[in-house]
Amino acid sequence: MGVQEIDLRRLVIKSFHMTDVQMGDENKITMDGKLTIDGSYVKDLAERHSKVIEKIDIQIIQPGDHDRYTNTIMDIIPISTKVLGKCGEGITHTVTGVYVMPTGVDVDGEQAHEFGSSEGNLKDMLYLNRAGTPSDTDIIISFDITFKKGMGQERHAIIEAYHAVDEWIQVYREQMKKFNGNKATEKHEYHDVIRPGQKKVLIIKEMIAHGAMLDTWIFPNEPSGVAGGKSLIDYGCMPVMLTPNEFRDGAIHSMN
Amino acid sequence: MGVGPSTKETSLHHFRDPLVDIVGSDSGIDLMGVLVFGSPEGNEEKIRCSRTAAVVAECCRPDGVIVETDGWGNLDVDYVNCVNEIGERGIPVAGLNWSGTAGTFVVDSPYLDNVVDFNKNPEGIESNIVGENNYTADDVRECVKRLKIAMLKKGMNK
Repeated sequence: MGVQEIDLRRLVIKSFHMTDVQMGDENKITMDGKLTIDGSYVKDLAERHSKVIEKIDIQIIQPGDHDRYTNTIMDIIPISTKVLGKCGEGITHTVTGVYVMPTGVDVDGEQAHEFGSSEGNLKDMLYLNRAGTPSDTDIIISFDITFKKGMGQERHAIIEAYHAVDEWIQVYREQMKKFNGNKATEKHEYHDVIRPGQKKVLIIKEMIAHGAMLDTWIFPNEPSGVAGGKSLIDYGCMPVMLTPNEFRDGAIHSMN
Repeated sequence: MGVGPSTKETSLHHFRDPLVDIVGSDSGIDLMGVLVFGSPEGNEEKIRCSRTAAVVAECCRPDGVIVETDGWGNLDVDYVNCVNEIGERGIPVAGLNWSGTAGTFVVDSPYLDNVVDFNKNPEGIESNIVGENNYTADDVRECVKRLKIAMLKKGMNK
């Protein structure tokens, strides 16, 4: 007879599948799978960050339409938001079918990278269907940032660019908080549990914390967000313990 | 040197991490938590932070530890030190790391036998292709298998 698991807490991630992504008059996301992007908002966003950003170009990349040039890929970001509870418990809403891909270059064509650059033909430079990359049926929103001269190598500018992406995603997050959870296309439950008598295993993850484009942020306000988070550099790179559910709930944002 | 485009874990990778998923759902494992530490630039700091991670592990009294990183080159210094410090404390340890041909360990330890190389590039190089050299569910299963054998061996030697 096995010993009963002790359930510590529950995290429910509800996903809403997007099928239609288009440019439009407003930043809007609906439960039935439509996402529109307001070009003038993005222009204003670039204006608000004009100390470091020259311009932002949005491209909606349909599945299979990857034979095109891309600047270096800074991250792949899921659009998720906390609906109820703190990080690692309660309810999180996320979106499937579309992911955000910030890319970066400066006005002189210098790629925003530190240790190897992924610019080139997108079909050659992005390996699909990994845990960290879109699938071959997903839509990609290319959020292409042109930095001011030299700013693609400056840490404060890179951080500000990630904040800009986050500001824009937040517009959708606020709408997703009001989505009816019963209409979700998928629902996943995750439990932090104690399994008495089983082998106790600890996972340790070492993450980069050097500086510009070699950075990792932890504990943002929103899942996979930036605002409210801090770099591991600010923690002195010292170990921080997370519950498995905190980790699953987007507690880490890559900036490499 | 640090994290290359093909090895780097995106925010999406962390959100749907197969390591936490597989270890967390294994009914024979009581997953204690996920300990995250940064890899700084300076050598002295690298040793201190990675050693502290091993100290936290010791204080938690685990039966086994899995150490993973998406970095290579100078990140091997902290990675190998962490694995080594855990091994020296008598705790069974397995790991996930990218080596291929271009990223083999720049430092050594007698406790690296259970580290799974998750290289996917045919030539074993940093291809700059985002996602190519990320670990997958198969790599995690191999790593968990190696850790379970190591924990079993320790149990038999008691």
